[in-house]
Amino acid sequence: MTEQASTQEPIASQNDATLANGGAAPVRMGASGSQTRRNLHRFLVKNRLNLAGLVIVSLFFILAIFGSVLAPHSAYQQDIKHAKLLPPSTEHWMGTDELGRDVMSRIMVGARYSLQVAAVVLTFSVLFGTLVGAVAGFFGGLVDEILMRFTDMFLAFPALVLAIAIAATLGQNLTNTMIALATVFWPWYARLVRGQVLAVRERDYVDAGRSIGMSNTRLMFKHILPNCISVVIIQMTLDVGYAVLATSSLSFIGLGAQPPTPEWGTMMAAARNYFRDAWWYTTFPGIALTLTVLAFNLLGDGLQDALDPRSSRR
Amino acid sequence: MIVRLIIRRMFFLVFVLLGLSIVTFALSHLVPSDPARMIAGPRASKSQVEKIREQYGLNDPVAIQYVDYVKGVVQLDFGTSFTSRKPVRDDMSRYLPATLELGLYAFLLSTLVGVPLGVISAVKRDSWIDHISRFVSITGLALPVFWLAIVVQFFFFAKLNKFPDGQRLSADIEPPRRITGLYTVDSLVTGQWHIFFDAWWHLILPVAVLTYGSLAVVTRMVRGGMLEVLNQDYIRTARAKGLTSNSVIYRHALKNALLPTVTQLGLQVGLLLSGAFLVEMVFSWPGIGRYAVDAIQRTDYNAIMATTLVIAVIFVMMNLVVDILYLFLDPRIDYA
Repeated sequence: MTEQASTQEPIASQNDATLANGGAAPVRMGASGSQTRRNLHRFLVKNRLNLAGLVIVSLFFILAIFGSVLAPHSAYQQDIKHAKLLPPSTEHWMGTDELGRDVMSRIMVGARYSLQVAAVVLTFSVLFGTLVGAVAGFFGGLVDEILMRFTDMFLAFPALVLAIAIAATLGQNLTNTMIALATVFWPWYARLVRGQVLAVRERDYVDAGRSIGMSNTRLMFKHILPNCISVVIIQMTLDVGYAVLATSSLSFIGLGAQPPTPEWGTMMAAARNYFRDAWWYTTFPGIALTLTVLAFNLLGDGLQDALDPRSSRR
Repeated sequence: MIVRLIIRRMFFLVFVLLGLSIVTFALSHLVPSDPARMIAGPRASKSQVEKIREQYGLNDPVAIQYVDYVKGVVQLDFGTSFTSRKPVRDDMSRYLPATLELGLYAFLLSTLVGVPLGVISAVKRDSWIDHISRFVSITGLALPVFWLAIVVQFFFFAKLNKFPDGQRLSADIEPPRRITGLYTVDSLVTGQWHIFFDAWWHLILPVAVLTYGSLAVVTRMVRGGMLEVLNQDYIRTARAKGLTSNSVIYRHALKNALLPTVTQLGLQVGLLLSGAFLVEMVFSWPGIGRYAVDAIQRTDYNAIMATTLVIAVIFVMMNLVVDILYLFLDPRIDYA
């Protein structure tokens, strides 16, 4: 949720071209095979950080989908008598928690909750934010004014503080966390997309489309929005990390997932009480969370460099 | 001219504040399906709930409820905390200075360290200092602040036993006479040096943890801005006409690189205030962040909404200050 992206010039302007092929806007969706391979090579091999990001993100997805199958132990099975707060060993690589559950298995299963929240929150935020931003940017005038002032109302709060207030009002569970986070994420997309649309709608091919009598809807969906998509993708990649982080922060406060759910923030909230005697219990969920956020940030930065060469992020 | 622009900004501020109040009003009066039941508690009888509904004006039309709400808020009346049974305003004035003190030093530290770090790392690209700055900016954004707080607390408090855990002063030290509410400032003004050092002793860990994320953002922004400026034609011209490297960097590049970062400083305040919730919770720091977290765990709505509103108002005000500051700093602003 940084504002940086919104202040940059739209990427679409690089694709500036005229209406050459039957009125299709110059969206480069698929380059030729060899060029794609070259780009991919440059993206991953020339920049090791991108590769690291991609590897960790893939791992995260694998865990989120197959975590409960891959986990060596049950994430819920308790054994207070024999396995309470055991340090890392060959049996329990990341030790056990206060109820004798295997920490590694819980981390593996817990990835699912992070991804689930991030996916729902971002799907809603992107769709709703894009709709609001596109309508505001495309129609301008009073519509723009009303929609953007509405958006500003949400941006006037520090994001996490508003999310906490919403989640606290709605009640403590993961669904409400999703609603709270979606409420604070979408305004950034509305702003981002509005900025893009404002720039793109002035392009020649949009004028040309209009002059041959295209409807607003067609112009919007076929020609304007596709040219706004790359910034949204960059922002989304970065935001997956922030959404995962925010989910865990809310759970840590006691708002999101509730015990015994192995959500990482919930785990750390419980682990906090044992941090003197059981360093592993807090450390490993923290590392998992840090690496996940880090990986999405690296990947987002990499995409930004690749898709928007003029960006100042280096 | 600049005065007119400031007045215009102030005028917009009224609308922003109205927006804030609408959001918090909607959250506290409309979102819980039955606020009266929330206030009364789950075991209250039907007639008790009805009495509360009447008492809090919850039977009035929404518009009137909103006007009442704004009237109260303007007079700093946030209602009574259900848990402390005291006016939320009193709790606020007690806990807010602790958060402000924490936030203020974190803000200063991240700016004072982040700006030079960003500049040097851009000028000496790929040097060791650049590597440090990039490490800070990558990790600072990814490290969960609450986890960092736990780890720092573990090492410096539990293992090394070097720093105190929580609270603003040691148990045997009385707080200084209240002038600003910031212990470091008040003790300095009254010349009570032992309080001054003790307050700092307690501040170091939470401030350090809170600073890290914000430091990452500042460093990254300054570095990016500086790199961009250093690639500009006028810098090349300056070098070509034989100016020394230092003169080019400090007289030509720095000012232009830093201007855009000024606008981002307002956003930093938001980051720090959000971070304060989590840092205060881990360090048992008696600020409004911990107050709010306690309120959340006891579903004390008045306290939660008051904290949210107060934090948002601070955030908005700081952004206004930054905007006005920018007007003075950037001669290119169009006053028309």
